Amino acid sequence: MKTRARFGVTFRVIAVLILLGIVVFPLYWMFVTALTSDEQLFSGTTQFLPDFSQIGIFAEALAQGDVLRWLLNSFIIATGTMAVTLALGIPLAYALSRFSFGGKVVVGIALLFTQMLPEALLVVPLFAIFRETGLLNSIPGLILADSAFVLPVVALILKGAFDGVPREVDEAARMDGARPGSVLLRILVPLITPSIAAAAVIAFFTAWNEYVFAVTFIYDKSLQPASVGVAGYIGEQDTSIQTIMAVALIFTLPAVAFYLFAQKYVIGGMTAGAVKG
Amino acid sequence: MPSRHSRRMLATAAVLAVSAATIAGCSSGGSPDSTDGGTVTVTFAASTLGDPGRGPGLQAMIDKFNASQDGVKIEAASVPYPTFGQTVLTQLGGGEGPDIIRFDMPEFEAAASAGLLEPLDDRVDAEKLNLQPGPDKYMTVDGSRYGVIFEDANYGLFYNADLIPNPPTTFDEFVDIAKSTTNGDVYGLAFRQTQAEEAGVWQDIFNYVYGFGGEWSDGEKLTLNSPDVVKGLEAYQQMYDANVIPKGADAATFRKMFAQNKVGMELNNGGYVVATKNANPDLNFSVVRIPFPVKKQGALIAPMVINANSEHKDAAMTFIDWMLEPEQQVELQGVLGASSVATPTERSAESLAEAPYLSVFDELTDSGVPQIVLGFGAQTPDIRKIVVTEVLAALQGQQDMQTAMDKAQEQAEALVGG
Repeated sequence: MKTRARFGVTFRVIAVLILLGIVVFPLYWMFVTALTSDEQLFSGTTQFLPDFSQIGIFAEALAQGDVLRWLLNSFIIATGTMAVTLALGIPLAYALSRFSFGGKVVVGIALLFTQMLPEALLVVPLFAIFRETGLLNSIPGLILADSAFVLPVVALILKGAFDGVPREVDEAARMDGARPGSVLLRILVPLITPSIAAAAVIAFFTAWNEYVFAVTFIYDKSLQPASVGVAGYIGEQDTSIQTIMAVALIFTLPAVAFYLFAQKYVIGGMTAGAVKG
Repeated sequence: MPSRHSRRMLATAAVLAVSAATIAGCSSGGSPDSTDGGTVTVTFAASTLGDPGRGPGLQAMIDKFNASQDGVKIEAASVPYPTFGQTVLTQLGGGEGPDIIRFDMPEFEAAASAGLLEPLDDRVDAEKLNLQPGPDKYMTVDGSRYGVIFEDANYGLFYNADLIPNPPTTFDEFVDIAKSTTNGDVYGLAFRQTQAEEAGVWQDIFNYVYGFGGEWSDGEKLTLNSPDVVKGLEAYQQMYDANVIPKGADAATFRKMFAQNKVGMELNNGGYVVATKNANPDLNFSVVRIPFPVKKQGALIAPMVINANSEHKDAAMTFIDWMLEPEQQVELQGVLGASSVATPTERSAESLAEAPYLSVFDELTDSGVPQIVLGFGAQTPDIRKIVVTEVLAALQGQQDMQTAMDKAQEQAEALVGG
């Protein structure tokens, strides 16, 4: 019996280590590559350990371009997209889940349909609309474009979450005199916190990584996000692999930090209410 | 009852939303003011500006222009190279975009055909400026001039002189040297061979097709499956099948390998010289004419154009006129490496002594062909996609090259309505 339990623990530890490796290894490999000189890169022997004598590449990358400005812009765009998406997605999902109205099925299908259109197809008509409305070359314009792109996904996720909450909960709240808005914000939203956190992560990451809208709609270098800035290191004739890796790593870390911050709400929300108090 | 976690989450989201909206509101841009105290600001987009080796030199020239007078200020528009053409074409199509653009030929033809570029017939006098007729003849679309040459980078055979003391002079020697140089982690040759680098594969196969006497069209009809085109592509496949290239390596990687003495030869253009020297100043390399039967090869011809939507066309022309002056042409040629420019220039004895191969590139200026399908310039990107897809399927052994090009011909004819 003991042997079987010990085997189970060992198996789980190995499984966790393998999964951890799959997740962490790409980041580690980017770090090692950033610290590898050209001679070492093509020496024929793979270098698995970082060469810290090359650590100056990170300082150089930060000093050369507008990396910090790009990161700030990306943060503003990603946070803004997340906020706008949740602000619109929560009531939309609530309406789709709880109310009957004409064309509800059409709205649901339309949400799915938007996900079938590639960004490259949307960029031209959106460009024309943004031009007419003065939203080109502005961060709010990009937030709006990104929000429109990710909103259907968020709405569908949240609709599923609302569907999972028994309608008796709403009815009980209404019997206590709560209005629909109050039921949504004070009763239902806290119950679906894990899904909201997951949707927030999706919205944030989508906007953080978005490239096509950003490169087309933003002309001003000082407003560019990091996704466009990193691509700028790929030259027509020449590309510094190490600089790309260093900047890409710098670009990745805030997103990872945000995920680590958000995931505790996912877990926290899942466990909330698990114990009767 | 909302949990402590939930309340904190909601509060955090609210704070982030408010701060994002506030900061975003403050950061909104709008087009930069293009006139400032009588100075007109003109934006200039060039993928060259993103090259680590050549970008700083071009920026220095822009700074020099800006310092030379008060009326016009050139500002570099930042468009990354990987999506340069697609991004700028979208902007132009939407009635926006940079004032001056350094385009590649397929995008130049597409933009000119769509009426997105300013005709320059009345603004450029080719005879007076002594423009080089070889590349300059491609600056006309439907009888109107839409650009002047910014760069004409001819393709030659770059070889590592330490690995290959005697460069090939025939295709058979080319094959033999590629094979004998390949050993362990050293490869005799390198070229692009993946769909991810579609435009690059097109550049590479272009030299094989023209070097074996083929042409993608006769100017009016597509000739993608003609015997000479297939012969050139079979030569390309022969090199692939000979296992003399680092298969799967992209251009960024194998160019670094070339600089690190790990690749013996590659076909590349004059613009690559600066990058090679930057990557390894001690590399012992040289350049000869591509040793294929016909002296005709691709050229990376890059026109400088004015956006038809620009509100500052005269100011844009001021900069272009300045760039066409002899002093600037010599300086630009120095920045670009071994490329030719709009007007004939004379290499200094010093630069020729340091890099004798410069004359090889210069001699190719008249025989260079832009990497478009002649007569179908605007449709080149679509035809390119069809051809590259079929050629790569042949490389993978899914079909022979003749079948690949028969299929490409059929698809491309349907595309152009031929």
